[in-house]
Parts: sequence; structure tokens; C-alpha cells
Amino acid sequence: MSDPIWEEWQELSKDYNELETVNGSYLKKLAELTNLQQTCLKHIARQRNRLKMMKKIVKQLKREVNADKVAELKNYIMKREAELQVIEQTLPKQSRKYLKIVLGSIDVSFLNKEDKFKYKDEYEKFKLINHVIAFFLSILNLYYDFRPLQLFYVGFLVWYYCTISIRESILKVNGSRIKGWWTLHHVLSTVGSAIYLVWPENETWSQFKSQFLWYNIYNCLIQYLQFKYQRGALYRLKALGERDKMDITIEGFHSWMWKGLTFLLPFLFIGYFFQLSNAIVLYKLSYHPQATWHVMFSSALFFIFFVGNTITTIMVVPNKIREKMMFQYRVMTQRLYNVVNEKVAKINLQRK
Amino acid sequence: MKRKAQLYEIEQTLPKPNGIYLKIILGNVNVSILNKEEKFKYKDEYEKFKLILSMIGIVMAILNFCVRFRALELSYIFLLVWYYCTLTIRESILKVNGSRIKGWWRLHHFLSTVAAGILLIWPDNETWSHFRNQFMIFNIYISLVQYLQFRYQRGVLYRLKALGERHNMDITIEGFHSWMWRGLSFLLPFLFIGYLFQLYNAYTLFWLSYNVTTTWHVPVLSLMFFILFIGNTLTTISVIPSKFQEKVKLQYRVMSQRLSSQLLNRETEDNQPTNKQD
Repeated sequence: MSDPIWEEWQELSKDYNELETVNGSYLKKLAELTNLQQTCLKHIARQRNRLKMMKKIVKQLKREVNADKVAELKNYIMKREAELQVIEQTLPKQSRKYLKIVLGSIDVSFLNKEDKFKYKDEYEKFKLINHVIAFFLSILNLYYDFRPLQLFYVGFLVWYYCTISIRESILKVNGSRIKGWWTLHHVLSTVGSAIYLVWPENETWSQFKSQFLWYNIYNCLIQYLQFKYQRGALYRLKALGERDKMDITIEGFHSWMWKGLTFLLPFLFIGYFFQLSNAIVLYKLSYHPQATWHVMFSSALFFIFFVGNTITTIMVVPNKIREKMMFQYRVMTQRLYNVVNEKVAKINLQRK
Repeated sequence: MKRKAQLYEIEQTLPKPNGIYLKIILGNVNVSILNKEEKFKYKDEYEKFKLILSMIGIVMAILNFCVRFRALELSYIFLLVWYYCTLTIRESILKVNGSRIKGWWRLHHFLSTVAAGILLIWPDNETWSHFRNQFMIFNIYISLVQYLQFRYQRGVLYRLKALGERHNMDITIEGFHSWMWRGLSFLLPFLFIGYLFQLYNAYTLFWLSYNVTTTWHVPVLSLMFFILFIGNTLTTISVIPSKFQEKVKLQYRVMSQRLSSQLLNRETEDNQPTNKQD
């Protein structure tokens, strides 16, 4: 009677032995992979160092003869740097300080381009979902004056900005070129929301509350518009074949944003002026007898936001054109790189 | 059962999906560490992180105890909230990598985050002045216990490493708490004093909630400290008999690892003659 069970167990054991052998070879390959990664990284570091030295020499050469050749060399150096960057995208990268403190030294680099793109997509969806939640919470808070609900909403904002800064640091490790200002913006927003959390429930709060809630509602709406438009632009570009057997890179995060945003620019500027208005209202409110330090602080923060956002956005418009050029250059480099690789592979095959 | 242990070993080398909490915060980043040594290094880092933050916490708690300055208090409580939040993230990562942290400790950290959050929004009124000093002393004591725990744990870990319980195998992360409890028979009384302190906090807050100027923060915090006290005491008490069981299980796992590495060696030897035949 126990025979069939024993037979099953034998079969299972066979299967398990297979698993063990496959796992053994997997472990060997994993060790090989890590070795190769380390070798690649060392190579890149060496190349970078020597490129730096060459750049210095080239600068000195400028004053001597043969301006043409010097220009050519400079061109080569720039191309080589772009190529190195492309290679680096496939290797694991170390996290920066902020991530190291929060997560420890976990490797958060995506080695696969498609994964990177998926992650960025997820990041955008995350922002959208949270904005929708925030939208509903703000509306609820407008109609019901319930202190725990307000506290929950502000607490949610703090958590949201914290999480966004973590996710953006991860994106940065994976090659995204998010402008420094936006990261700073999110850190400042975390601090700003935290201030609302500890703002005592007094007269100044009641006066400012509804304006604050309307500001957030407007913000959520803009983010939603931005999301929809950005998606449209992204898909249009994909379709236009700017893929060419290469997945779209994450960097140029802002070139994506700005490609679709000429339509959105007026809305964004209205948002920034809303921030300025908040700053002014809060500043006037700080002369109220019941005003605490929160009011002044918040006013200063909103003013910084207004200034930073406006300057950065205005700066981007001429940059938009330049980034487009640099991006096309990178696209070309990649195509070149792929073509060169294919040719080398063919030659090797022929030799064999 | 042996087979289960072996399968578990193999799974450690393969990438694992994140839990819900990590998915929400980090998204689909792969946080599984495939290399055993790196896993061990990560856990080491985690302990160091706790220690460094405890040291900062102790300095700030002492400062707050001596000086009464609202901004200083707020920054200390913010630090606490951020610390517990970060701990929960790191522990989730440890869990994905095979650590068997008991569910209660993770819940404990979540609850501590919420409690610290409530402390943050507690308005600066009379009840707060009453409770404040006690709270600072409580934090100083906890930080000291953490430091003792860290030092003792390290000593035990190195002793075990030296005792050759390595055997070509790096020490696994799981049994996180068997490590803790191995060295902690010495620390147990200190831990229990800490838990009783939590009970005392709950008790003080309970009486404070009958004060005139009291807000909702007080009874809620009283309840939370009470839950923390009960959870901690129960978990610690239940671990003492488990301690022996876990020791047995750990030795079993060590043996199964040796077995599986021997088997693998034998397999490769067996396969070689068959390959030659081909």
C-alpha cells in the first residue's frame, strides 16, 4: 500500500536533485556575473580618470597649433564620455547618502532598461494615485471641520512627500536627471507639511485653512493634467519610432515633462502665483495677535517655492531645446554603439 | 521536513518579491540580496544604524530633560518618528531577505511610529508639562538598554563565529531573534524593567487623562503604552521556552546545510564520470 507513496517520493527526489544542480550552476553564474560587473566598473573608473587627464592636456594644447585636430579630439572625448555613460547604465551603482541612511547599502540599480522604464512608470502612477487620495481628502476637509481628519490629511501629506523623495533618490541612482531643485522642492514640502502638523489649532489656522485646502485641490488637478499629457507625449514618441530597438531611457525625465508641457505652462504659472498669494496672506496673518512661529515659517517657505519654481520653469524653456539636442546625440551614440557591437560580433563569427 | 529546510536554503539565493509595505514605499525595486555575506553585512549595518540613532536619541533626550525649549522637543520627537519609520522600512527589507523577525517586533515599531506621531501633535499644554520629564527619562533608559543589547549581541555573534559554527557557511540572517536571545539571558531583567516603565507611563497618562486641560492625546497614548507593555512582556516571556526550540531548529538547519553542500559535491563527482562516458 505504501509503494505508490514511495514511488512518488522517489520522483520528487529526482526533481529535487535537478533543482539542486540547476541551482548550483546558477550560483556559479551569479559569482561570475558579480566578478564581471566588478571588472567593468574598474575599467570604467580607469577610463574616466584618464579622460580627465586628457581633457586637461587638451585645454593646454588649445593655445598651440592644429586647432582642427584639437577640436576633433575634444569631440572624441565627449563621444567617449557619452558611451561610458551608456555602459554605466547596465552596471550596478552605489546609492547616495540619503538612500544609504534610509535603506542601508542595498543595491537599487536596475540593470535592465525595460525595468528602469517600468519603475518610472510606476512612480508616475504612484504620484497620481496619491494625488487622487489627497484630492478627496481636501474636499472632505473643506466640508467637514473635523480636527482628526485635518491631522490625518496633513500627516498623509508628510508621508507622501517623504516617500516621493525616497523614490526619486532611487530614480536618480538609475540615471534619471531630475533637476536638483525638484528634489529640494520635495524635501521642503515635507518640512512645510510637518509644520502644518504641529500648527496649534487656533484662530490663524482657521483663517488660513480653507485657502490651504483650495491650494492643494488646485495642485492635485494640475498634477492630474500633467500626468495625462505626459503619458500622451510619451506614447506619441514611442510610436514615432524614436525607440529603434532601444528602450526609452529614464534620463531626460524633464525633457519628457517639458515636451508636452507647453500646453500646461500657463496652468503651472497660475499654481506658482497661488503659492505667492499664500505667502502674502500668511505674511499678513503673522501680524495677528495669536500668530505663532508657524505662520512666518510657512510664509517664507511658500515664497521660496514661488521663487524657485518660477525661476526653474523659466530656465527650462531655452534648455528644452538644448536637452532635445543632447538627447538626440545620446540616441545616435547608442545606435552607433549597437552597430559597432554587431559588426564586431560578425567579424568574430567569420574568424571562427 | 529536511526537504523543506533544503528548499528554504535554495530560495535564499533567488530574488524574492517585496511585501505590500515595501511595494507602496519603494515600488518594484528588487531588494533581495543574493549573496549570503552581503545579507550578513546588511544586518550588521542595520544594527549599527539602530545604535547610532540610539546614541543621538540619548543625547537629545538628556538635553531636553535639562532644558525646556519647544523647538528642541519637536525636533527630538520628529527624530523619533523618522527613526521608527526608517526602522520599519529596513526591517521589511530584512524580512524579504529571509530574516525571521517575529511579527510582534515589527508591529511594535509601527505602533511606536504612531505613538511618536501623537506625541508630535500633542499641544504644548499643562498635561504635556506633567508628562514630559518622565517621557525623557524613559527614552534615556531605553537608549541605554539598546546600547547594552548591541554590545552583548556583538560579543555573542563573534563568539559563535569563532566557535566555528561557520563551516564554510556564512551565518544566516534568520534566527535574528535566536541571536538576540542567546546573549540576552543577562539582559532580560533590564528589558523587563523597561517594560514595567512602559506600564508606569500608561498608568501616569491614565491618571493625567482626568486632568482638566487634558486632550484626546492622553488616553490614546496611555492605551498605546499599555498595549506595548503587554505585547513586549508576552513576547519576551513566550520566547524563553522557544529559545530552546529555536536552538534545536537552528542546529538542524546547520546540519541540513552541511548535508546539502556535501550532496552537491557528491553530485558533481557523480556527474563527471557520466560526462566522460558521453
